[in-house]
Amino acid sequence: MKRRTWLLSAAGAAGALVVGWGVMPARSRMGSGDLMALQSGEVAFNGWIKITSSGRVVMAMPRSEMGQGVHTALPMLVAEELDLPLSAVRLEQASADKIYGNVAMLVGSLPFHPLDSEGGEKPAKVRVGEWMVGKIARELGINATGGSSSVADAWDVVRMAAATVRASLLEAASAQWKVPLAELQIKDGAVTHASGKSAHFGELAQAAAGIRPTHVALKERKDWKLIGQSAPRADIPAKINGTAQYGLDVRLPGMLFAAVRHCPMIGGSVGTLDDKAALAMGGVQGLVRLASYGESTEGFAVVATTWWQAQRAALTADVKWLPRPAGNLDSAKIRDALEAAVKIPDGHTFHERGDIAQAEQQAARKIESLYSAPYLAHATLEPMNCTAVVAGGKVEVWAPTQVPQMARALAARVAGVDIENVTLHVTLLGGGFGRRLEVDSVGQAVRVAMETGGKPVQLIWSREEDTTHDFYRPMHVAQLTGSLDAQGNVTGLRIASAGDAITPRWMARGIPALSGPFDTPDKTTAEGLFDLPYGFANQKMVHAATRMGVPVGFWRSVGHSHNAFFSESFVDELAASTQQDPLALRRKLLAQAPRYLAVLNLAADKAGWGKALPAGHAHGIALHESFGSIVAEVAEVSLPDGKTPRVHRVVCAIDCGTVVNPGIVAQQMEGAVVFGLTAALYSRIDIVDGAVQQSSFPSYPMVKLAESPIVETWIVPSERHPGGVGEPGVPPLAPAVANALFTLTGKRQRSLPLLSV
Amino acid sequence: MQLTINGKSLQTEADPNMPLLWVLRDVLNMTGTKFGCGVAACGACTVHIDGQAVRSCVMPLSAVAGKRIDTIESLGTSEKPHALQKAWIAEQVPQCGYCQSGMLMAAASLLARTPKPSDADIDAAMTNICRCGTYPRVRAAIHRAAAELAGAPAVASASTLEKQA
Repeated sequence: MKRRTWLLSAAGAAGALVVGWGVMPARSRMGSGDLMALQSGEVAFNGWIKITSSGRVVMAMPRSEMGQGVHTALPMLVAEELDLPLSAVRLEQASADKIYGNVAMLVGSLPFHPLDSEGGEKPAKVRVGEWMVGKIARELGINATGGSSSVADAWDVVRMAAATVRASLLEAASAQWKVPLAELQIKDGAVTHASGKSAHFGELAQAAAGIRPTHVALKERKDWKLIGQSAPRADIPAKINGTAQYGLDVRLPGMLFAAVRHCPMIGGSVGTLDDKAALAMGGVQGLVRLASYGESTEGFAVVATTWWQAQRAALTADVKWLPRPAGNLDSAKIRDALEAAVKIPDGHTFHERGDIAQAEQQAARKIESLYSAPYLAHATLEPMNCTAVVAGGKVEVWAPTQVPQMARALAARVAGVDIENVTLHVTLLGGGFGRRLEVDSVGQAVRVAMETGGKPVQLIWSREEDTTHDFYRPMHVAQLTGSLDAQGNVTGLRIASAGDAITPRWMARGIPALSGPFDTPDKTTAEGLFDLPYGFANQKMVHAATRMGVPVGFWRSVGHSHNAFFSESFVDELAASTQQDPLALRRKLLAQAPRYLAVLNLAADKAGWGKALPAGHAHGIALHESFGSIVAEVAEVSLPDGKTPRVHRVVCAIDCGTVVNPGIVAQQMEGAVVFGLTAALYSRIDIVDGAVQQSSFPSYPMVKLAESPIVETWIVPSERHPGGVGEPGVPPLAPAVANALFTLTGKRQRSLPLLSV
Repeated sequence: MQLTINGKSLQTEADPNMPLLWVLRDVLNMTGTKFGCGVAACGACTVHIDGQAVRSCVMPLSAVAGKRIDTIESLGTSEKPHALQKAWIAEQVPQCGYCQSGMLMAAASLLARTPKPSDADIDAAMTNICRCGTYPRVRAAIHRAAAELAGAPAVASASTLEKQA
């Protein structure tokens, strides 16, 4: 018996060799079956897949569905390796184990220049960095849906988990039927043999689970039936008949509702709160003061039988607010401070090539421009909310969150219980965009639920609270300086940028144990400036991380969202000032970056760059890499009334590596264009005397259907590791539109939003 | 107060000033109709009152007594989906999906009064906010549903297909 075990282990090791060392880390994340909760008759094979007695395949889903299609794309990987129709894979929320941590997201936070990894083999510093951070990430196991990383992260481990189940099922059938493995077929949830023998997965599961298979191999690309197909999204039927369950739709017996009112001044607090008038109102049960979370703001909640009653009472309550102790914030003053900061750049040098000082000394002339982008709110359509029950030393939470374990840890901290006593259910998210990487409303719901005698509470922010108390995209300012020689060649590019760091603050509030005594340089706010693909011989990019006191967070495409506007507008400035076509200049500068060049050319060709457009229309182009994917966009823009831009059409080209579901890629590009257009044209958060001036959609407007352009998406075929899809379409939109506007007006706009007065 | 919701008659003791949205969601536990802004700016709460699209977050209960109220829950069934629901699947419209109840109810009201809407009709009627940016597919799906209701063969959406280079 002992010898047999040894043999199987050795065979298992050989099995690993079949798929190569490259996926060894994935194997370390396969996990054991006891990570999955089992109903009667179910058999778990590893931490990702179990099979029911009737043969249904159930996948552990660690990522949150917030519109990006992850609840379709990840089960496609399982269905592919098991030769199942997608509809045969059911999802269950993954448990809290480290194997579900998002390794790709953390590895993606390394500040390496993407061109370093373009060639066949990555340089040693990149390999060592990725190996170390990957190892740390596997140890930490931070479960987060963000950084456009879900497919990239799951790609190896989920396919490997499914391929292992497939091999186990086949070997079980082979042993039971005493037929060679090679004669077995697997299809539609059953293993069959030419002799007529057949068994569905459920019938083989018990025997198969005990087998460590000898021949685990991922399917070859040529054999894929599902990967690369536009499989319909699995979540759509429930989203068109009102049955999809978002955080706001949780209903529990005896549930109460809570409305929140924060101090209008960011960082301020509740001085005195007279609850008499509120308590006298219909349905009102009580008031609870709320602490701040990180840099967020104190406030109070009103609990009532319905949310409308709670909200009405919250607005009625007589409260004296206290300002922020360190003084009220003002976004105009912050902008002045950031403009001063880029003049004396003493930040972290993220990228340096050649000798920029010499290039500037020898320059025949220099072009210098100052760019800026405002604070932005996320404005998820489902406002911040969370539902909680605190009873008998246990906490149960329902949250539309991108970070379930962070939410669970905060719930435990607030309730003063061990984390094992907290159960967290992830609902569908009515938009995320990074806002739901913050768990402030989770802490509030748990705090309120501690005061309701064990009754469940659903805490909901009004739209006005959502807009005025976000963790905002930080304001950023950048100075870009181009050096030109006498012939008009660009010999150098210097960039100095300044803005608040996000990651250290996020760590400090969400994972206090990982927060250090000082802010480390933050790649996420420098990205999109230090990592440009253009072959300027001399470059230097310095980023000063500031700390202005405004709560800041990750906003769809993060630093890229504003930095691409700075860099791609400036490249157009260089073209204009040297009398070159913006496309031609970019092509010239991309000789050493063929993948970027191919994406650029594809977008330009499909848009008909250089061909005649209707009178009063102009094209603008932008190219940007983010989250492992390269995107070029060509926007066709006009100014019908002389001042309000109308974007008619946006042609997108994307190289996102291997594509799992091209339909979802197109959807995400369309969405990113509209999301990017809202920010480009309208969005700004202004803070005056500590208070955010915008409050709801009328004052923080969104692009609507009538203004939405036609969007075309062209995908470059690729066999590289999958890149991101949710965010990379956002960054090129603003510069593409701004560059078209420059062609129309001759006026260069260097500040967002473009419609700003 | 007597209400007629999705063809069923029911009684509620709710405050007559309470907006219909909160009666639906918090009193009747009909959560298909969504809360987005509370000021009739986003349309997530769109329902039909006597067949007309109305933003229920600003519609007091007292104003809808005796009227016919229809919500997303009655737009179609899985056996007999509304033409718009079929078109929404064909065009793969939703992303996060949170706005789609209101989007569908607004589109249903549009098709009821304008069976073959032009792009301009759609622009004027569909003022709901979708933060995910599904607008190009919403437009294509409305055209598709209109064609199906008119008995025309289904049209391929021109604007939103992904393409392999």
